[in-house]
Amino acid sequence: MARVLVVDDAAFMRKVVSDALASGGHEVVGEAGNGTEAVQRYQELSPELVTLDITMPVKDGLEALGEIISLDPGAKVLMCSALGQESKVIESIQKGAKDFVVKPFQPAQLLEAVGKALA
Amino acid sequence: MTTQQDITPREALMRLGASTAESIAQVLEMFTPGAVQRGEVTVLPDGASPFANVARGSIASSVSYVDGVTGANIFVLTPAGARGLATAMGAPPPEVEEGAETPALSELEMSAIAEAANQTMAAAAAAISVVLGQEVEISTPDTRVLDEPRKASDIYGTAPHATSTTFVIAGESCRLIQLIPAAFVVRMVRAMDELTGEIAEAGAVAGSPAAAAAASAVDVSPHTAALEEVLGGINLRVWAELGRARMPLGSALGLPVGAVLDLDRSADAPVDLYVNGMRFARAQLIVTDEGEWAVSLQSLESEGMRLLERARAARPEGNEDVEADSQPLDSRSVLPIESQTSSTNPETPDLKQPEVEGAVT
Repeated sequence: MARVLVVDDAAFMRKVVSDALASGGHEVVGEAGNGTEAVQRYQELSPELVTLDITMPVKDGLEALGEIISLDPGAKVLMCSALGQESKVIESIQKGAKDFVVKPFQPAQLLEAVGKALA
Repeated sequence: MTTQQDITPREALMRLGASTAESIAQVLEMFTPGAVQRGEVTVLPDGASPFANVARGSIASSVSYVDGVTGANIFVLTPAGARGLATAMGAPPPEVEEGAETPALSELEMSAIAEAANQTMAAAAAAISVVLGQEVEISTPDTRVLDEPRKASDIYGTAPHATSTTFVIAGESCRLIQLIPAAFVVRMVRAMDELTGEIAEAGAVAGSPAAAAAASAVDVSPHTAALEEVLGGINLRVWAELGRARMPLGSALGLPVGAVLDLDRSADAPVDLYVNGMRFARAQLIVTDEGEWAVSLQSLESEGMRLLERARAARPEGNEDVEADSQPLDSRSVLPIESQTSSTNPETPDLKQPEVEGAVT
């Protein structure tokens, strides 16, 4: 089970992701609402996994991913994309994201992706 | 073979509205199974306010197209409809004592509505991307209570064109208002003229979300059930790609006539078959008895697996543990193709790249 940082600009999605992670036995150690906060929280908390939304204000998920990977090349990041963000998903994988899950998703789908990202 | 079917701006608006509404309905169905009904698309007359009949206190969540095309999409719900949708998504309503006034939507409920707008409009943007052949990006959602709907134009601005599409979600009516710049309409007209003007024998794409989206864009039928009926008649551009090469721009510009360019595939490797810019199958290049090029389909990946496959293939270190969930097709599935050589990538190139990538089709 992993210590996870949940990043999404929607409080509702942070709750959905956090609840799903908790149901799978993972510990949500922190949350962030944009890319800038995500990078700060990553440095503070050193989580084992980050779930990272793509479309966010201030700093989007791709930019945050790049900064997190440059800080920690071994970072395990799971991207949470919406339908139709194919090219951004590809770009995020190229930048070092471990896997992705497409919203709307069921808790089991998220947990499966988390398992793959942590493997 | 080409047939010309000129699309009028009004038809383009109707089809844009229908395509967007169809995508939205499909995502909403995931939140509220069996409880979503889509009504008609209305193109508003010049000068009509799209917010004229919006009730005070309605919940509005807007998402704009910000790259590829521009335009605003405002999803307007009654407070009860917004609460119902938020509840269906998993945001619990606040507890109310019997006889007490119904409280306003909580922060979590408003966030759920914003997320619904985000996910539905991302799907709508993907549908439009299929039609335009170019990726369309969306903004983050802005969700608020419309205390003064008559002043909504101060918030969302105005546009030369507007559509309104009605929905019923769990018994509550709501509507999608689209504010559409003239340039967007021009591009839709052009793209749909191209789509309807070319005949392809690619019925194999039936059932994929992208195909449904494209189908919705070229047919104004308001009901999902009708989509499958019209799908078979949708004309899409189909081409086969033999291989690719990358080189510095200077080298590409200096290529002399007669130069031999090595591609990234062996002669007997399968080719990729593209439908309107999206790779959807692998095929073997063959020559027909009449001496014409054709492709024999070998496999067809599902939408999700294709996305996964492309994403993983793009990973720098590779990832060998992913296998495409391919469905073998009948070996008699042969598509004749026209021979064409292109020095441009059929997908939108990144102009910032110092190198150029060419695909031979």
